[in-house]
Amino acid sequence: MSERPVSKVIGKPDDLNLELFQAIVSGGHMCLQRCGNCGRYSHPPRMYCGNCFSGDYSYPEISGAGTVYSYTVSHHTAEPAWQDELPYLTVVVELDEGPRVVGAATIPDPAAVRIGQRVHVVPEKRTDDFAYFTVVFDEDRTS
Amino acid sequence: MMTSSSHPASALSGRTAIAGIGETDYTRGSDRSVLQLVLGASMDAIRDAGLTPDDIDGVIPPPGFVAWDEIAAHLGIKNVRYTATPQMGGASPTAALLSAAMAVSAGIATSVLVPIGWNGFSAIRPKPGARPSKRRFTAAFFETVRNFYAPYGLRSAPWWYSLYLQRYVDLYDVPPEAAGAVALACRKHAQLNDRALMRDKPLTMEDYLSSPLITGPLRKLDCCVETDCATAVVVTSIERARDLPHRPVVYLGGAEGHSSPADELVNRPDVLRLGLHDAAPRAFEMAGVTAADMDFLQIYDCFTYVVLLQFEALGLAGPGGAADFVKGGTIDLGGRYPTNTHGGLMSQGHCWGLNHVVEATRQLRGDAGAAQVEGAELGLVTGYGDLGDGSIAILARGDK
Repeated sequence: MSERPVSKVIGKPDDLNLELFQAIVSGGHMCLQRCGNCGRYSHPPRMYCGNCFSGDYSYPEISGAGTVYSYTVSHHTAEPAWQDELPYLTVVVELDEGPRVVGAATIPDPAAVRIGQRVHVVPEKRTDDFAYFTVVFDEDRTS
Repeated sequence: MMTSSSHPASALSGRTAIAGIGETDYTRGSDRSVLQLVLGASMDAIRDAGLTPDDIDGVIPPPGFVAWDEIAAHLGIKNVRYTATPQMGGASPTAALLSAAMAVSAGIATSVLVPIGWNGFSAIRPKPGARPSKRRFTAAFFETVRNFYAPYGLRSAPWWYSLYLQRYVDLYDVPPEAAGAVALACRKHAQLNDRALMRDKPLTMEDYLSSPLITGPLRKLDCCVETDCATAVVVTSIERARDLPHRPVVYLGGAEGHSSPADELVNRPDVLRLGLHDAAPRAFEMAGVTAADMDFLQIYDCFTYVVLLQFEALGLAGPGGAADFVKGGTIDLGGRYPTNTHGGLMSQGHCWGLNHVVEATRQLRGDAGAAQVEGAELGLVTGYGDLGDGSIAILARGDK
């Protein structure tokens, strides 16, 4: 039986996922893969554009703005690292560029989340190769 | 029913049959290795077909725990002509039937073994002193899970699937009682099955509704039971099957289907469209029948809400309509579409859905005991796996 990790899972990306995370970590901003030919955004990044099949792409910065597409509120976990955060909220964000990403959100009442709420995805560096996505609800954003 | 259609794939329809079935006990606390379980169920299926390992020349094990070569070597199968392994998680066993039917109807192999087994309970909770399980399951989508889901506390299937099931519930106001109807039907049918893990453990809607939430919308009782078990079936030509001991169970049609992208869940144009939505119409066309012709359904029930979506994928209800479909005992024995008459993954045990194929075979042989659907002539089995891959097999009672 393998040992249970005591810290949260840290991504260990390969190939294009590694390129994406390194772009995010090095710039300190949210980025997405964008086709160099037709301009369509893709997530996770792909070798060839699903729209025009071009192999040219880059990872430009984006604002991170989007809407809640789906979510789950976890009341149980097998992971010790998440025990203290129960119940925790995980959100699928549809970014304004089109693709969707999964991130974690901390709000006072996780059950109050609704599809369609406006949010921002904020990346936080964990390693040189991985950033953690936090979802911030626009109504909770303070200056 | 058996008349040919213009669809090219109909060359498969009615050409092969399930001739043998085998299964171990369904337990929580196995003393046997996965290989031992799988070999035992395989030998039972070969004997049930009235054959010996010398008659088997194809092996199609689903992925993960045992490979075709060790199965063949240990069983003494010496003349292997065809092997394949579908990479679709829990959709693999039912997809393997399609591959077996293709191989046999094309003359590539004569009799094909489809086995699966695992220590789904004991591998993660070994008895004191038990040999550790070295068997590991890998799939390409784990790259997605490791980098984009698991960092957020989503490490296994209930958490991944909740990412689209919560949207299903919110968009269509699906009440928990609809999922509860699936859990209750499976548990009710398990009371008739000596081989069911949940025999003698009846369940009420009050029990279901007080079951704790795991991750929304899934409660504990929306999840199937982790099980140690193995099952196997033998597929052969319809002509050969007629000379074997049991009434043939005819393979009328089947298909697999995949959402795109298959290795990632949340970026699909419609996250509520399963592989089965694409596979089911193709299988019905091949078989020349419709969902309304079915006498029973064996639906892959890893989670209750996934069963609701599959009723819609089969065309038995419109989008969001499964909650109404399951009302009033429709899916119970005695209802119009008795579902998971063995108890399913929810209440018999989790054997990757090949136990659904075993139960469908018993029903169509007329050997389903107290759970027998009166006059059952047509039934279907579905598979669901990985991040929503789907498979389906449509089976018929053959002539003896």
